[in-house]
Parts: sequence; C-alpha cells; structure tokens
Amino acid sequence: MMAAAEKFVEADNAEAIITRIEHKSRKIESLLKQNKPVEALKTALEGSSHMICDERCKSANWIVVHRALMAIKDVEGMFSSLDPEYYDILMKYLYGGLSTGDRPTCDQCLRIHEKLTERAGLGCILRSLADTVNAI
Amino acid sequence: MPFMTSPELLLNPVLICRNEAEKCLIETSINSLRISLKVKQADELENILAKKFLRFLSMRAEAFQVLRRKPVQGYDISFLITNYHCEELQKQKLIDFIVQFMEDIDKEISELKMSVSTRGRLVATEFLKQF
Repeated sequence: MMAAAEKFVEADNAEAIITRIEHKSRKIESLLKQNKPVEALKTALEGSSHMICDERCKSANWIVVHRALMAIKDVEGMFSSLDPEYYDILMKYLYGGLSTGDRPTCDQCLRIHEKLTERAGLGCILRSLADTVNAI
Repeated sequence: MPFMTSPELLLNPVLICRNEAEKCLIETSINSLRISLKVKQADELENILAKKFLRFLSMRAEAFQVLRRKPVQGYDISFLITNYHCEELQKQKLIDFIVQFMEDIDKEISELKMSVSTRGRLVATEFLKQF
C-alpha cells in the first residue's frame, strides 16, 4: 500500500522534473543564442543531482548537458569563469559523454577532461568513481 | 572478488571511448581493478592479427601476473590488478606498464600487418619469377 503510494508520488515528481528540465533547455537555447556558452553550461549542470530520479529524467538531463558541452569552443576560457562547485558534477557528465562512443562527443569530452583534471586534480576523478549514490 | 556478492563494494564503472571502435572499460572494487581494452581493427587482416597476438599474450597471462586469461565479453584483452599486486609491485610502474601497453598495441599490430604484406609480396615475387 505504502509502496504503491510512493510510486504514485514519484511518477508525479518525475513529471515535475521533466518540466523543469524542459524549462532549463529553453533557457540554455536562449543563452547559446546570446553567445554565452559558459552560462549555458552552468544552467545545465545546476540542480542536476536533484533531477535524476529515474531513467527518463537522467536521459532528459543528459541531452541538455550534452547540448551545452558541445557548444563550448574555448575550454580554457570556460574554466576561468566556471565556479569550482561545478567541477564534480561536470566530471561525472564528462565520463557519461566518454561512454557514448560518439566521436565528436568523445573528442570534446576528452578535451575538457584534460583541462578539468589539471584544475580539479585526481580527487575529482576519484569522487566521480566513488559516488555510487548520485550516479548521473 | 566481490562482484556478485556485495554491490556496495563496487565503484562506478567507467567506459572511455576514443571513438566507435576503440574503448576502455575500467571496473573498480575496493580491493581490485579490471581494465578491459578494445583495440582498433580497421580491416579483416588487422582483426585476425589482433586476435592472434592478444591471444598469444593472454595464454601467457601468468608471466604478466596482471593479465587476465580471458578478456571480458565484448573486449580484446583484460587486466586484473588486485591489492596483492599493489603490495608486490610498484604502483607507478604498473600504471606505466598499462599506459605503455595501450600506446604500443596499435604500433605492434601495424608492424605485424606490414610484415605480413612484405612477406606476401616477397613470396609472390619469387613464385611468379618462374613464369
């Protein structure tokens, strides 16, 4: 009885999250049009840990983050304006991108990964490996 | 290996793809690490050469200690590094070995391919001289 009630709440929650992700996606498109890729990436990464309750939300959020990642042209420049609080979640999404096998995505993720490791250190990588609770 | 019995001892597996054909899967647990590689095989000849060469290495896995006899499903070769290996062997040297292996494997297969083509050409030339 309780489990059924919980499932019902979760489904509701999932719909709410999907709506939030769609809203995020529109905001990102507009930021990209204004030539602000770093702001777009920050928007994409923000709140990601709260938006991943089921597979649908995970893939919806991934699509949004992927869009923002691929729009980055100046990786060095990006890091000068990206706050360190985003490093860990960015690393998780980079590994997500590297697992796709899609050449442009992998190239971009490898490029960003190199710079991110320089900035954030090996601890960042280890945290993305060890965090089994908030897997993206 | 706690793979089947205690999922809380496993960390997130990491799959790194260079492109559609080459990838590396790293699966970690608290006391061991499995690295599986899929090497580039551009044509049928490279496919055969890679398979033969890597099977040759895997059969001699004991000599390597960190090599696995059978690669993980979907990959060409697998390394298994346990905490015992880390106690006996130097960690940095282990890392260098794996990285060197990955760098050299493509070169190795290209050299094998070239030597097969060269031998083929020599044999064909000699054979056709009699006509």
